[in-house]
Amino acid sequence: MKRGDWYKTKEILLKGPDWIVNELKVSGLRGRGGAGFPTGMKWSFMNRPSDGRPRYLVVNADEGEPGTCKDREIMRHDPHKLVEGCLIAGKAIGAKAAYIYIRGEFYNEASNMQVAIAEAYQAGFLGKNACGSGYDFDVFMHRGAGAYICGEETALIESIEGKQGKPRLKPPFPADVGVFGCPTTVNNVETIAVAPTICRRGGTWFASFGRTRNSGTKLFNISGHVNRPCTVEEEMSIPLKELIQKHAGDVTGGWDNLLAIIPGGSSTPLIPKKVCEDAIMDFDGLVACQTSLGTAAIIVMDKSTDIVLAIARLLMFYKHESCGQCTPCREGVPWMNKMIYRFVDGNAKPEEIDMLWEISKQVEGHSICALADGAAWPVQGLIRHFRPELEERMRKFHEKQSASC
Amino acid sequence: MASQAVKRTIKEVKPILSVDREEARKRVLNLYKAWYRQLPYIVKAYDIPKNVEQCRERLREEFTKHDHFPDIRVIDMLVIKGQMELKEIVNVWKQKGHVMTYFKDSLEPKPKDFLSKFLSGKE
Amino acid sequence: MLRITFTKVLNGAKLSPKHIYVATRAQSGEVKKPEKVEVFIDDKPVYVEPGTTVLQAAAMIGVEIPRFCYHERLAVAGNCRMCLVEVEKSPKPVAACAMPVMKGWRIKTDSEMTRKAREGIMEFLLVNHPLDCPICDQGGECDLQDQSMAFGSDRSRFTDIEFSGKRAVEDKDIGPLIKTIMTRCIHCTRCIRFASEVAGVDDLGTTGRGNDMQVGTYVEKLFMSELSGNIIDLCPVGALTSKPYSFTARPWEIRKVDSIDVLDAVGSNIIVSTRTGEVMRIVPRVNEEINEEWLADKSRFAYDGLKRQRLVTPMIRDCNGELKPVDWEAALLTVAKVIKNAGSQVGAIAGGLADAEVLVAVKDLLNKLGSEALCTEHTFPLDGSGTDLRSSYLLNNKIAGVEEADLVLLIGTNPRLEAPLLNSRLRKGWIHNELQVALIGPKVDLRYDYEHLGDDAKVLKEIVSGRHQFSSKLKSAKKPLIIVGSELLERADGAAVLSAVQTLAANTPSQDKDWKVLNILHKVASQVAAFDIGYTPGVDKIREGNLKALLLIGADEGAIDKSDLPQDCFVIYQGHHGDQGASIADAILPGAAYTEKQATYVNTEGRAQETLVAVTAPGRAREDWKIIRALSEIIGAKLPYDNLNEIRCRLEEVAPHLTRYGSAEEANYFKQAEQLAKKIKIQLDECTPIDVKIKELQDYFMTDAITRASPTMAKCVQAVLKQKQSKY
Repeated sequence: MKRGDWYKTKEILLKGPDWIVNELKVSGLRGRGGAGFPTGMKWSFMNRPSDGRPRYLVVNADEGEPGTCKDREIMRHDPHKLVEGCLIAGKAIGAKAAYIYIRGEFYNEASNMQVAIAEAYQAGFLGKNACGSGYDFDVFMHRGAGAYICGEETALIESIEGKQGKPRLKPPFPADVGVFGCPTTVNNVETIAVAPTICRRGGTWFASFGRTRNSGTKLFNISGHVNRPCTVEEEMSIPLKELIQKHAGDVTGGWDNLLAIIPGGSSTPLIPKKVCEDAIMDFDGLVACQTSLGTAAIIVMDKSTDIVLAIARLLMFYKHESCGQCTPCREGVPWMNKMIYRFVDGNAKPEEIDMLWEISKQVEGHSICALADGAAWPVQGLIRHFRPELEERMRKFHEKQSASC
Repeated sequence: MASQAVKRTIKEVKPILSVDREEARKRVLNLYKAWYRQLPYIVKAYDIPKNVEQCRERLREEFTKHDHFPDIRVIDMLVIKGQMELKEIVNVWKQKGHVMTYFKDSLEPKPKDFLSKFLSGKE
Repeated sequence: MLRITFTKVLNGAKLSPKHIYVATRAQSGEVKKPEKVEVFIDDKPVYVEPGTTVLQAAAMIGVEIPRFCYHERLAVAGNCRMCLVEVEKSPKPVAACAMPVMKGWRIKTDSEMTRKAREGIMEFLLVNHPLDCPICDQGGECDLQDQSMAFGSDRSRFTDIEFSGKRAVEDKDIGPLIKTIMTRCIHCTRCIRFASEVAGVDDLGTTGRGNDMQVGTYVEKLFMSELSGNIIDLCPVGALTSKPYSFTARPWEIRKVDSIDVLDAVGSNIIVSTRTGEVMRIVPRVNEEINEEWLADKSRFAYDGLKRQRLVTPMIRDCNGELKPVDWEAALLTVAKVIKNAGSQVGAIAGGLADAEVLVAVKDLLNKLGSEALCTEHTFPLDGSGTDLRSSYLLNNKIAGVEEADLVLLIGTNPRLEAPLLNSRLRKGWIHNELQVALIGPKVDLRYDYEHLGDDAKVLKEIVSGRHQFSSKLKSAKKPLIIVGSELLERADGAAVLSAVQTLAANTPSQDKDWKVLNILHKVASQVAAFDIGYTPGVDKIREGNLKALLLIGADEGAIDKSDLPQDCFVIYQGHHGDQGASIADAILPGAAYTEKQATYVNTEGRAQETLVAVTAPGRAREDWKIIRALSEIIGAKLPYDNLNEIRCRLEEVAPHLTRYGSAEEANYFKQAEQLAKKIKIQLDECTPIDVKIKELQDYFMTDAITRASPTMAKCVQAVLKQKQSKY
């Protein structure tokens, strides 16, 4: 409460859903879960006349992306921001209840959330006549069982329904047929948590941060080879170099010791040092560098890193987390995984690099959900920027082979 | 036009072997004689349950079956076939059963009415 | 679950593609059709209804998009990704099977991008698919084989085969009918969807994730369904193959003959595959009005019963009381002598597998001899209209009509096991059409929810009189159906039951004028034809008749035995299996089974269909009607037909619809039947509960002479019994 949560929530609620959605649209807030879809627009999809089915808000707190720990911070330290956000988002889309799907591994965070929800109920902020606004709203917690794929919105919905967490086909989108067959909006924790502040301080205030179309503030997680790994809230469009030097105490061994950076969580392609010099941390800035903002989880790798092994390990993760529903991901990702582990030793022919590139292209964009894309991109980034490294390893390996014979 | 006429003429006169009826007749007689002389050997070689006399009778029957053909080309063709047949038999390219098919008429007639067909398993 | 609310459909709410099929069906009726949208497929314009998928739109103009997981009769899964096609202005290719078309879309089914995508998917599918086509039973009729020829790459670049090889998966044991080689599985999930949607048995599913995903029963158990064989046809690869058929024949060396199944009264359309004069397997043939493209397990797998326990030569019981093989001449002479001496004291009982030709031949013969003792083994009430009016013994509303119903009352029947394909229709209606089912009879497992009204005959009476709570439901239903099991009508008070349901049906209004409320479900294939020809139901006549000679035409259910007959009665058995009937016979005339003759059968809807000769009858067995024809000549009462055409003409004289193959002859005179039924004096026996013989799956497999002789069916019974004891 002393952090300003639940301040004038009733007034916000009473201004009505249209006002909230409009404020969000003005703010230019883009979804913080990775894809960067404008939130105001997403919410306005729900503004169609009711057909008798209830609507639901689902909060995606299944933060499984390697390197990402922003939602955990919110839920651990500021759970009330999320609870209040649920209420406001719920009002905006006319939802009957919110489900917070929290990752199973986040035990403490789940406990904190549950305490916060209980507190909110006791204070009359939730439940019947929430905040005295005449609006009935409930918040439920649902703990996942630790599958990365359940962070995908439709798989998450399936999981809430009690089925295997396998992504559904789209269309129909969750806004038509979501959880329990009812219209649903799925939002990231950060998106929801920032909504109350936007409503309190106005969309224009939020839009004043960052470049146009990339406005606002954002939580950045900096991990890896830096002196002070941390999670900070910063303005969007901050240069990558400045961000690392200002908050994380620079790369270990100085900026010149940098090898590459994965700028947006494990599923985005890495960028080497020369690109990092002037990369701008926002959606469009990183697209220009052939990568993407994703969840803004910056993984810094210095020159001591075995970059091929690092990407291979990521691929191993994706192979393990693939749901196995559709072919490209089920068959393609393990195949890439096998190949890249051979590349680590150099046990391959240089032509196979092109083959791997082609296979990653065959995987990308052909599957139901984006997990396969997330597995293909790091590989593409590796080949794009570190091809000489791969070829060098193969040369060495074959030299060693012929020497031993 | 001219070429068509030529074609027709050629078609009309094109002989197989014999140019006239007399020649054809000679060929037939030659074939008959050849068969006639071979019959005893055939009976022996194939060990068929028929004697030479029966074979001669059958041979004559076979030839008289075709005695009404006016077209010498048909006669020629039958003669050629007959020669081929004879060669096959004399060289023992055939087997006993093949030779005996000439006498198949002597086999039981096919059942005609429903009941006999039923009993013989034909239907 | 799978049920979706009908209101949702009507509201026009956007539905998942899973439900589009139903939605369009439902809309075609009362809801005004929405405007068609124009899309372009390979630059050819086509107008389709909104909600049509890309794949369906392409099919309309004859462009077939390759697919593995998509199947018309199952929900859309969209997981094989084989059907990816390029849509102009879309960065990614879209899955044609799941994506509804949008106005003005330009779809390219043969562009560079599309081909590239297909080739990629094909490569991925083959990465872990074993190259064992030469020893795979699916070889030659395998979707994966065909499509990799058509759409796959021309070379392999799977270099990892030298390092880590391919995935291998342990085979599952899911019963005596289906052989699994799970390494071949491409995870299309057709089998899973079939099991949960059509069969209603949620035994199959996936376990594991990613590359370790496996299709199977979660624990080792039998796939307990009476429709299990269909997953063999559905499987696009050789992961699920037929166990009895395994390693016996190749698809290119078998001869296929269209035929009709006679092991239940549904009359499913089948294809009999033969090689070297032997039936190798039986697969379903599409007939939308009867079996769609499914086939029940009994019909599919009982064919090995056709090779065992067969009667191959005529036999006569000698003075020692033993049956001795004789030739046809002797057999016919002996039998003819007996029948001649018997004069008019000769009778006949037709069993469940008799075809219309033999039925009419026997009837003609016996009538010529002055006898009217022609009976069917399965009885039916004679009082009231009896079998004179067809409406009282047909499934009047047709099998396909069941889907449209909104309320079904089952009386004394277990459709799941008596007519599995009718039950699958009921289940389809239940899932997609909000069909409600109620049952009077023993509580059986139908694989869908129903209201159990009890097994008391009193309930029926209460409903008829309108006192039961169910009556109001029946009255308010738009399209109600009453399905009565023929077994119930075999009871002593069958006539009263029939009369009751006829009254009930007459009092139950339906909105559609052509809608027939009353339906009788028979259990055997010959019954309707026998009634149409004029056989008397039940064997009472035989018992009373003081007969000197009795002809059993495949009557094996033990409706009559020696003690029912006079001492000197000579029993002649004509049929194809050495079963119950043959054991009491004094003379045996071996006939042909349904795969060995061109014969007419009429199913429970009154639809005449013909079987064709797939193989010749074994040994000295002959086509049935010909035996009767030959016998008649020896007796001296020669029947006036010598070949199939002539006897078919005679059939047409007797009942014209018997030769109108494929079409179901409608019945009429419902009112008259009901009025006649009112005259029935017999009272409903309220003390005896309504019962059915086939209650559980193990009872289903062996019900007639063919299935009793089948080792596969015996194994099924064993497997089911074993499964029942298992803790899963």
